[in-house]
Amino acid sequence: MPPFKDEQIIIIAPGSETTLAQLGLPESFTPARLHVRSCMFPAEKEGEWEPYKIRRRMEEAAKPPANASTEEKQEIADMKKSLGEPEEDQIIYEEDQISEEGAVWPIQKGKIVNWSCFFALITHVYNTMNPPFHTPILLIAQPAWTPKEHEKLTQFFFEKFKTPAFAIMDSALATTWAYGVHTATVVDVGKEKVDVTAVSEFVPHTIGRVVALPDCGGEAMTLRLLEKLKSKGFNRDMCEQLKKSTICEILPVGIPLPGGEPNGKTDTITNPAAAASTGATASGPAAAATLGNVPRGPGVDTEVGDEPGDLEEEGVLDVANIVASGKMTEYLARKEKEKQEKAAAKKKGADTTTTTAKPVRLPNAKREKATFMYEDHALLDTLKNMNLGTEGMAAAHAALDEGPSNKNGADGADGEQRSGADANGATDLANPKAGRIRREIEVGVERFQAASGGILENIADAVHRTISAVDEVNKRSELWEGLIICGNGSRIRGFKDALITLLKTKYLITPSSASIFKSELPSAMPTPTGTGANTPTPQLSQLGPHGGPPISSGVNPLLYAATTAQNPQLMGTPGTTVNPMYAGGQPQAQNAHSSHGQTPTSIGFVKLPEYFPEWKDVGFDESAFLGAQVAAKVLFIVDGGVSKGYMTRPDYNDQGPTGIHDYSL
Amino acid sequence: MSTPNPSAAPNPSEYAGDEVSAIVLDPGYSTTRAGFAGEDVPKSVVPSFYGVLDSGSGPRYVYGENAIHNPLAGLEIKNPWSSDGIVEDWEAASKVWEYAITSRLTGAKPTDPRKNGLNDPSGEDMDVDMEGLEDNEKPLSDSPLLMTEPGWNSAKAREKYIEIAMEEWGTPAFYLAKTGVLAAFAAGKASGLVIDIGASMTSVTPVLDGMVLKKGVQKSSLAGNFVSNQLRLIFEQSQPKIPLTPHYMVTSKTAVDAGAPAQAVYRQFATPPGDSFRRLEEERVLTEFKESVVEIWNGPPGQHRFSQNEDSARSLPGRPFEMPDGWNQVFGVERFKAAEGLFDAAAAFTDEQHPRPKEEQTIPKLIQAAISSVDADQRTMLQNHIVVTGGSSLLYKITDRLGAEINALFPSTRNKLHAPGQVVERKYAAWIGGSILASLGSFHQLWISKKEYEEHGVNIVEKRCK
Repeated sequence: MPPFKDEQIIIIAPGSETTLAQLGLPESFTPARLHVRSCMFPAEKEGEWEPYKIRRRMEEAAKPPANASTEEKQEIADMKKSLGEPEEDQIIYEEDQISEEGAVWPIQKGKIVNWSCFFALITHVYNTMNPPFHTPILLIAQPAWTPKEHEKLTQFFFEKFKTPAFAIMDSALATTWAYGVHTATVVDVGKEKVDVTAVSEFVPHTIGRVVALPDCGGEAMTLRLLEKLKSKGFNRDMCEQLKKSTICEILPVGIPLPGGEPNGKTDTITNPAAAASTGATASGPAAAATLGNVPRGPGVDTEVGDEPGDLEEEGVLDVANIVASGKMTEYLARKEKEKQEKAAAKKKGADTTTTTAKPVRLPNAKREKATFMYEDHALLDTLKNMNLGTEGMAAAHAALDEGPSNKNGADGADGEQRSGADANGATDLANPKAGRIRREIEVGVERFQAASGGILENIADAVHRTISAVDEVNKRSELWEGLIICGNGSRIRGFKDALITLLKTKYLITPSSASIFKSELPSAMPTPTGTGANTPTPQLSQLGPHGGPPISSGVNPLLYAATTAQNPQLMGTPGTTVNPMYAGGQPQAQNAHSSHGQTPTSIGFVKLPEYFPEWKDVGFDESAFLGAQVAAKVLFIVDGGVSKGYMTRPDYNDQGPTGIHDYSL
Repeated sequence: MSTPNPSAAPNPSEYAGDEVSAIVLDPGYSTTRAGFAGEDVPKSVVPSFYGVLDSGSGPRYVYGENAIHNPLAGLEIKNPWSSDGIVEDWEAASKVWEYAITSRLTGAKPTDPRKNGLNDPSGEDMDVDMEGLEDNEKPLSDSPLLMTEPGWNSAKAREKYIEIAMEEWGTPAFYLAKTGVLAAFAAGKASGLVIDIGASMTSVTPVLDGMVLKKGVQKSSLAGNFVSNQLRLIFEQSQPKIPLTPHYMVTSKTAVDAGAPAQAVYRQFATPPGDSFRRLEEERVLTEFKESVVEIWNGPPGQHRFSQNEDSARSLPGRPFEMPDGWNQVFGVERFKAAEGLFDAAAAFTDEQHPRPKEEQTIPKLIQAAISSVDADQRTMLQNHIVVTGGSSLLYKITDRLGAEINALFPSTRNKLHAPGQVVERKYAAWIGGSILASLGSFHQLWISKKEYEEHGVNIVEKRCK
């Protein structure tokens, strides 16, 4: 009788961006039921935190919360995760479930930087699940967390939640559990960092592990886009959403960007900002005309190119600013005008649409330009801060929104865009106040350059370093062949392929033309060593630097030699000669050092796990959570504490927080 | 010092046991090892190298693996150790060591390197950091610290160690132990001859009953870096020259025939990183070369030197190696020559900057000198307990050769070599010994407490840590 039941188990996987959690293990493991953004808002009282932004409705307009200005930069919107909790009715205060204004993100670059905030977040997550008593907790730990921090967490979980059992599992290890492999190199691309971990025989190598490689995660790619597009009036939020749209793609090395000629490019994108944000901009009629004109998405070079350069426009992308400065009516009037013109233009454009849209629907990678839907959170925030009241809000919303639901919204692009948005984004809010304000934006080839500027190179180098740091030399080739790229930062289209292509072009060792002829015999055979009778070296010293194959690889020594040698195909005949050397029970361990040639001779991904239909649809980017479910099942139910996989409350009472290190997988 | 669990008071004899989690810090030239006492491997192994970026408003220092391998414009790589195995730049050394402790062991504290703007390009999110942190706690205020030092450390350097630990890190208790002793402990011996072949130094230390015989300590610079330099010389002196291009300069490579010039696409840098950065990255390639190609020559008994049987080496098959830019070749006799200089000064490659090493610097001579400095009646015992450690002792077949050399030196005694099979035990022997020592219950009386330090000042370390 296992000490716990499936439905009692809690899994929490905190991340810089999103915290995943779930109560209970389903029959077939599903993606995490609960996605919470990993941020909290400072409450009125210092040191207390609220899960949502609280606004004072009665107060005078546009009074930003105390710390909003300083945090503006980092708080900017990301994935929207609405919890669907009923909004509490308060007289003065109002919870805003979407806004991220003034939010504090307690985990940055994988590290916990604000403990009180972090604990508040965990408490919020825990309470959201509303668990019964007697729930064991499995916490998925970021690699950047130190042993001391594990102790702190242990103490927190036992003392705050009175949990009967608690375990901490490394996220890289959890990922390998999801894939069901014992040896793999896990590349976890997070928000602001990348972790690269070599896991061999279920043990993550802590030495040489690349922890929290900065400026390489999803955030870095957003910033990279911003850098590319800043001159064109894009802000960070737009870039973030562009990154998440399907039109943003990373092309493998060696594939040229579409639409090579720079001339046409610069011409057409004189003010893509204006063109992009369409009606929302205060652009002249020309730009508005484009809107109707352009066959969204499909055509190449059909769009902006044929319009006159919009020199007179101001290129206003920042509608929020306009609104805040009180010129909204003015702006809306202008927009209204545009709308009419656009309608007129649309008629004209109708035929072009049919002609160009039909013939070729090029893949994204071939198109020079593409559009995506932008949800303007900044604008929404501004509106909310203005205390317009429900009707005013709704009116403004209707006037500004261009989303698919809107009449004058873009035709076309919507289908593609929606699918690209993350799963939760689709759960739109019924609440008109909270509804999104969408605009359509067009971008050029910059969208292919999210990972340019050394991001991929740095990650590739980190992989090389991690694997080279593994002391068991004979494991390295296996590690190169077992790459797992996960983490939500790797969701960008083409990222994984681009990374592995880069690894291959940079690091793959081609069989040398020389070695094919001169051959690579295991050096045990040809070297007439002085290890004979005269060497007084005791048995121990014969165990060379690489200690021979680890216990677990009690494999056929021939196989072992063959897999570690440079040219396995040459092993046939010499292999048999060598056999007696190995057969002596003591594998010529020193060989391990030399019998490994250079690595890698091949690089590949671990096969995606099967039998998890629910995960197939969403992708395995959050596979650490899948692994956590597998592990939770094994730990709390199958094993039931026999092999000390988790710490129980009595254990904690006996040993205190430091005891946690004795309980691990 | 607070005990983590008030309900069970720790046994007084276990003062330094697992309960208080002493930290063991073993700094070396190539890496700095840190971890909790009682564990079997150091949790934190960080490079001792650090980077300097010139950012307008004065130099900015970066620490850690991730930072020093990032090809940033103008990045220069430095090392706080001097080439003769003593810390030179204390400022930097204490930062590197602190990084080793805080980054992977204790977590961020206000004195965390990030506060200095290290490894963190944007200063903005710092204000968030600061909110959650309490008072001015020092990074080590709740952990006793055991540090290791080389056997030849100067008295001044030792005082500096305790000063950093007490003043800068606020450790409640401190002890300084010699690497030789600890490596012997790790091998389960209280006495023995410890041969430590590291990155910058090779040392031979006689240890008797847990004490280093100071006059017997021998050291030389014929170690891992020497082998790397030998490789560079081989590459330079071969016809045609062998190009050594580190990975970061290559965007993609194309397969070429052995010996044919490389055909690679090179990465363009607006402002390339400094030369020292390139050197560090080249070192990575050389490490790979050392791992997979270099072999120590082992001739037939009696004539183990390479010079004695070069011809037989020629008949052996070579090993291929591919450079990051795709250039590849099979290395035949060169692979035996690269490290021969460790044993035979006459076999070393030389040029103007790299003169021939002196004969007495070679490992056999070091061993001989160390043994002869010991009383005659102790020698047999030392020869019976020879411990081989250090990262460069992982060179292929070096233990065989050491055995042969030692037998040639002392043909009449029973010489016994102890070289752990596990790589970690070889590389981190001194740390492991420290971990064992610091977790012993009986060790607690050796700690120098903060109070004693305040009473007696820095020279207490001379009195207490022999």
